[in-house]
Amino acid sequence: MTAQSPADASGLAVRLPDPVVALLRRRDSNVFFLLFVLVAAIVYFTVQSPYFFDDRNAFNIGRAVSITGIAAAFATLLMISGGLDLSIGAIMNASGLAAAVIMAESDTSIVFAFAVALGISAFIGFSNGIIVTKIGVNPIIATIGMQFVVRGITLATRSGSALVRDRAFLEIGQGELVIGALEIPVPVILMLTTMLLCYLALRFTQFGKYIYAIGDNASACRRAGINVTGMRIALYTLSGLGAGFAGIVLAGLTGAGIPYAAGSELSVISAVILGGVSLSGGVGVIQGTLLGVLLVGVLKNGMTLLNINANWQMVVEGSVLMIAVSLDQLKQRI
Amino acid sequence: METPPVVETKRLSRYFKGVVALNEVSVSISSGEVVGLVGDNGAGKSTLVKILSGDLEPSAGHMLIDGEEVHFRHPRDAKKRQIETIYQDLALCENLDIMENVFLGHESYRNPLLRLLDRRSMYRETSQLLDELAIRVPSTRELVMNLSGGQRQATALARVAKAGARLIILDEPTAALGVNETRNLLDLVMRFKAQGKTIIIISHEMRDVFEVTDRIIVLKRGKLVADKLTSETDPDEIVRYIIRGRD
Repeated sequence: MTAQSPADASGLAVRLPDPVVALLRRRDSNVFFLLFVLVAAIVYFTVQSPYFFDDRNAFNIGRAVSITGIAAAFATLLMISGGLDLSIGAIMNASGLAAAVIMAESDTSIVFAFAVALGISAFIGFSNGIIVTKIGVNPIIATIGMQFVVRGITLATRSGSALVRDRAFLEIGQGELVIGALEIPVPVILMLTTMLLCYLALRFTQFGKYIYAIGDNASACRRAGINVTGMRIALYTLSGLGAGFAGIVLAGLTGAGIPYAAGSELSVISAVILGGVSLSGGVGVIQGTLLGVLLVGVLKNGMTLLNINANWQMVVEGSVLMIAVSLDQLKQRI
Repeated sequence: METPPVVETKRLSRYFKGVVALNEVSVSISSGEVVGLVGDNGAGKSTLVKILSGDLEPSAGHMLIDGEEVHFRHPRDAKKRQIETIYQDLALCENLDIMENVFLGHESYRNPLLRLLDRRSMYRETSQLLDELAIRVPSTRELVMNLSGGQRQATALARVAKAGARLIILDEPTAALGVNETRNLLDLVMRFKAQGKTIIIISHEMRDVFEVTDRIIVLKRGKLVADKLTSETDPDEIVRYIIRGRD
């Protein structure tokens, strides 16, 4: 479903040179735009602050965005297929808390704790998939409902946070992998690995092709013999699983499983949309999501170094999202 | 022994919330036949076609493929029986290219376990296929959103040819086409017929129907009102059936 507005309705009378038009028409034109903005932001902050351009700071940014990035990778797959998951944040908290509580209150292995946490997350995602596909509830409503249910159950189970004391658990969030002179934070490696896997799936597999196909025309896919319902349920399940994984990394990073945090799902979804995925489905690439996540991280970090108030940082973050989406709309009129 | 018909329906009906869209329709189509399915809007043509292609389940009645009773629950089931349909809206993904649409649901793999797509061989096969069908497109890598109506239909036709269908159903194939494109399509139908394929073609265009079909079936308000050999009837008679039904 490409809602391409006819050229005459555009009100955009500018004639762009052909190479620019060709660039804008590419499936991944957002990537170039984001890359340009990201580089510009990096240059700006480097000039403005002596602390910005530094490998330690780069890894700080990486660590800060890794949680959003892990969840965003799976959310990208779901959203390209035309789905949406607003229960990501609640799942993250439920999973991180579950893993921390199991580790703190029993002497089971870390593998078991993670398996339970991920199992719960996948089951929540699977339930979202069933409600959306089999019953036909709008994904926004279904997953907001799920968000409340999961958050409620999480808070009812445990109203306070559970500390993480296990070394291996903490390493997942706080550890570093030393490669030569670089000490790369483990969460960054986990995010990049997740993104790479999602990239390979989208780019080279039948699964990836069907994600784009369903996002564009689900009924055509059904008629082509594709199990659209199964694909959708799988994608909601993966979204839940990704959020659960992100939640575990978050608990390791902060050193505690916390039952409640506001708005994480919106950070994830806005990063995905900033990266060029359309809410109506069918378009987007993982590289865009990675750049979207990084751009938000760089802006936040840079503004913090420049002593810009956190409230104003929110304003900038929101504005960048709106500008990116607006530009994307204007692009369709070319 | 006589070979059973490729497809046979017995008192096939379909209701939608009390509305009878298809009312006890019994038809029988033999191998290699080209059958025209005509009728006014709401006559039940699309309903019948959707049931045959597994997109819709019948409310009552039986359907036999090669003499064997079948129950299609998903388009996949019809495809397994080598029934392929070209829908009026063509059922293409605009964000995929020609090759990706031709192979949609029939991909070839480099690694079957991981379902890694063998894009190179699929591009090669698509080019060959289009050549064989005498279909010309700018490039098999062109996205469908950039194609003309005729090129889109060619893509849909190539998909059906790729799938190796025995029964091909065409729903209003010429409705959106220009003069030349219609000509090409009718030629292609004759080529499919020469290959021994069975074809059901829905159309409002009497000229097209009389040019390519062996037999014409007329539906009116969900009922079968005429089943005539094309050589033994004429457009006036068929139009009379469409408008007035059985006298």
